[in-house]
Amino acid sequence: MIIVRAPLRMSFVGGGTDLRDFYHMSPGRVISTAIDQYVYVAVNRTPLMKRISVRYSLGEVVDHPRELKNDRVREALLDLGIEHSIEIGTFSHLPGHTGLGSSSAFSVALMKGLHAALGKNIDKHGIAEAACRLEIDLVGDPIGKQDQYAAALGGFNVLEFRPDESVVVDPVMLDYQRRREFENHLLLFFSGIHRKAASVLTEQKANTVRNRETLQAMADSVFEFKDRLMEGDFEGLGLMLQSAWERKKLLSSHVSNSAINGLYEAGISAGAWGGKILGAGGGGCLLLLAPPERQKTIRDTLKKRAAELALHDFQELPVRFAHSGVEVMVNSDHSRMMA
Amino acid sequence: MEKYIRNFGGLVASALATMPDREIARAMGIIQATYERDGKIYIFGNGGSLALATHWVSDFNKTVFSRHLTKGVRRFQAIRLPTTEEELTAWANDVGYEMVFAGPLENYMQEIDAVIAISSSGASPNVIKAVEFAQSRHVPVIGLSGFDGGRLNELADAKILIRTEKGAYEVVESVHGTILHLMTRYFKDYFDHALGARNA
Repeated sequence: MIIVRAPLRMSFVGGGTDLRDFYHMSPGRVISTAIDQYVYVAVNRTPLMKRISVRYSLGEVVDHPRELKNDRVREALLDLGIEHSIEIGTFSHLPGHTGLGSSSAFSVALMKGLHAALGKNIDKHGIAEAACRLEIDLVGDPIGKQDQYAAALGGFNVLEFRPDESVVVDPVMLDYQRRREFENHLLLFFSGIHRKAASVLTEQKANTVRNRETLQAMADSVFEFKDRLMEGDFEGLGLMLQSAWERKKLLSSHVSNSAINGLYEAGISAGAWGGKILGAGGGGCLLLLAPPERQKTIRDTLKKRAAELALHDFQELPVRFAHSGVEVMVNSDHSRMMA
Repeated sequence: MEKYIRNFGGLVASALATMPDREIARAMGIIQATYERDGKIYIFGNGGSLALATHWVSDFNKTVFSRHLTKGVRRFQAIRLPTTEEELTAWANDVGYEMVFAGPLENYMQEIDAVIAISSSGASPNVIKAVEFAQSRHVPVIGLSGFDGGRLNELADAKILIRTEKGAYEVVESVHGTILHLMTRYFKDYFDHALGARNA
């Protein structure tokens, strides 16, 4: 039995510039951090049982991987040539489609676990690359590469996506005081609206050339965000998030909708400096940057607004950053000894 | 005599001034990540470096948490290798001196762990052997070296090199001691800050 975990992530600015259509023209950049919420994947080889069993929000038992409905597991197994005798299960504290990169965290944990089951130990960069290949090339999702790298590497990083497909990682070295101060200025709410990144990104991808200037400005603003963070200018960061959100709404008609706008505006009017919807937009989580003394008012206001908007699953999620990335937590496979 | 004393102080002070901040920050990140995943930290070196390793283990496992010892706070799991003289002599006598760290490391090491290797020359074959073993399993390595850094500085993920002339062991080891104390103090302050309200 092998148990792997990979963290979810919050991205601050630069999302969308990690799409191939953009970074093939000029380097994309994202600043993001892993958070202490994880997706777990358990992989178990079953030599005495030939069938393939996969458990996620659904359960599937099939004779051959090509029969699987779960596209990520299907393509991963076919690509790695695992055709029988395996059980795969996934577990998480949070629901999927919240905009915190959970589907890529799943792919990262899956690839790490499957390679471990084959007795192969791949490093974090290698796993990020494998997860990108799985999601973008094999499954064909119109998504970028930031989530796979955030989940594989962990920590707080500036990720740069080069035209030659390489990814350069520049860790943002915050000491514990600055890190805690920043955490204490952030409020994260799940809107209660589940959304799939693909539906938003398909349109955004098609508009990449038209949106080039906007995307370029987003990629460039990553440096300013990092500098202000190092200085502890949280109000400045809030205002940057707000202008990034304004820019992002221009990218695709699906990025925002009236319910999300309602929550966002309620947060700003209650005293937040700025914020954004995490993920590709259209639902997911609302992140607000606000002075600690206004946070109670903001919480109360948003709760009320969410009730008016009939967002029954609306809730606050506590925010703590995480350093660790994808990790094999348990490996009791015999193949490990032969590695 | 006083001039000699001041001269040595000056050598250590100027070596201290070249501490690689960013690499030390990287090392703190490796330790933080290891704590988050409940991994262990193995530390080793030869002679004076082994003494530094042992001293650090005591500080890191206990002193870091000295204000929270009775509160059930999960502590670091730092382990000096080899853990016993018996293992040290058994590996050295039966297999070879180059295996005294790599041998015991292979008994313990899991993928979620981390390694701190100390070698003033950066060239000690037994230290390099253990570092290569850790890296073959993608376990992150913090390397504390001196002189020109040697092979250890080439291999390490966090490259803490105190560049000095060859053979300046006293200077290098003094600065290594400072850096290990810096790590202790950083995490002591960190846990006091994080747990202060509830546990201090």
